[in-house]
Amino acid sequence: MTSASTVGPVEGVLVIAGRELGSTIDSKIAYVYTIAFVVLTNSIFMNEFFLTGTVDMTGFFDLMPLLLPVFLPAVTMRQWAEERKQRTIEMLLTMPIRPLHAVLGKYLAALALFGMFLAGSLPIVCMLVALGEPDLGLIASGYLGLLLFGALLLAIGQFFSSLGSDQIVAFVTTAAVGFLFVLSGDDRVVAVLDGLFPGGEIGTHVYEWFSVAPHYEAFVRGVVGLPALAYFGGLSALFLWINAQVLERFRT
Amino acid sequence: MIDVRDVTKRYGDFTAVDSVSLSIDEGEIVGFLGPNGAGKSTLLKMMCTWLPPTSGTITVDGHDVVRDALAVRQRLGYLTEHNALYEGMRVDRLLSFVGRLRGLSRARLSERIDWVVEQCTIGAVVGKRVNQCSKGYRQRIGLAATLLHDPRVILLDEPTHGLDPLQVVAFRNFIRSLSKGRAILFSSHNLAEVASISERLLIINQGRLLEDAPLADLRQRSAAKGQELEDTVLDIVRRSGGSAGVGALGATAGDVGFAADPSGASNDGRSRDP
Repeated sequence: MTSASTVGPVEGVLVIAGRELGSTIDSKIAYVYTIAFVVLTNSIFMNEFFLTGTVDMTGFFDLMPLLLPVFLPAVTMRQWAEERKQRTIEMLLTMPIRPLHAVLGKYLAALALFGMFLAGSLPIVCMLVALGEPDLGLIASGYLGLLLFGALLLAIGQFFSSLGSDQIVAFVTTAAVGFLFVLSGDDRVVAVLDGLFPGGEIGTHVYEWFSVAPHYEAFVRGVVGLPALAYFGGLSALFLWINAQVLERFRT
Repeated sequence: MIDVRDVTKRYGDFTAVDSVSLSIDEGEIVGFLGPNGAGKSTLLKMMCTWLPPTSGTITVDGHDVVRDALAVRQRLGYLTEHNALYEGMRVDRLLSFVGRLRGLSRARLSERIDWVVEQCTIGAVVGKRVNQCSKGYRQRIGLAATLLHDPRVILLDEPTHGLDPLQVVAFRNFIRSLSKGRAILFSSHNLAEVASISERLLIINQGRLLEDAPLADLRQRSAAKGQELEDTVLDIVRRSGGSAGVGALGATAGDVGFAADPSGASNDGRSRDP
């Protein structure tokens, strides 16, 4: 008989991530999502590109906040809901790992899949470089903003997936919250909210404190600032931590 | 190795486990008998750290299940009641996944996989996906995953569910061979099964531990009364005020009134022998 062996936190996270990614790839979902995402984003960008004729990716980055709240919840909706439905969650969470490590493993797998999505847009960058002299710093900054916004949506999506066994509910709630984060930064929404409570400037406060818009737009403009990094990093970490707490406590 | 002290589990007003105390030592194989809904699975779920007790303490190999849950999980092998496995995974990859999460080194993992594959006779399906395996194979795959890290404490919740009679006999012999240096607790609603493997019997009903006695003592008691062992067990359950449950379950030969689990009595029709 062996003495009790232990798995380190990093290895535990990687083992979970490997299984999760393998399961996604096995189910062919990854291919469908990636192809749909790449075809949609590239075709919309090309349409804009031929209309404006400028060698930059601003149009692409402006479009993404409206697409990600639809695509990314589909990646995360099954992560815990399926574990609950299939009852494999009992086996997984009675392994010698902390729930936070399981959450991080699944998160890492979702990020890897999102990375595949983004990699599908790299031909656009290659085309712009071939056609002119785009500002590569601006493009890199835009991609960083996109990655951080996507990472936040994945954290939110995994959290909602952990609340029940229904994947559709997880998808809809994540998409709704994602759009709230995006639309609260729209000028028209801000104006309407400000108008509803004159003097209170509710819309402006929501824009400044809640919306992703000011932070994401900073990246698109090429400004990589600490407040934006703290906003995305802090919120993502918060949702991942709450997710782990849900898994710790829902069994009682 | 397992020490349960005055453990209670409540869900709102419902008491699933009521002030249960017991201990199981190294080398013991203990059968846990009770009708469906008696509290067997709840108690096992608390022992394996899945559920925290409402009150009382449980230690496994000296580690508290609440304060030192990770240490308990490292030492424990737990086969769940529903034996839920990742359906789309290949059996060898599932075992590898479990072994790596258990912290086994590459060499040790390979050695242990070879051992459990041979002992649980799942060699024919290691390259197949779990959802391509029959119920009997799935049960043995679950058992293989449970034993992969060579645990000192083994909890088995309805372990023979889905096995054919020959496999049940092989399982009994296998479990007996594992008892040295380990504590094994397995639950069942089937007295014949429990009596054929264990030396000691725990009988639970309505959350309360009704009897904790060596099987030999129960047999002696039965003989003294001139009745079968199953009648003695039924008397114990009836005296606890659980007669309504027993009556509803109905006494059948070999199943002594603890009816088969309706949720898992039949094959779901999707499984097939590989």
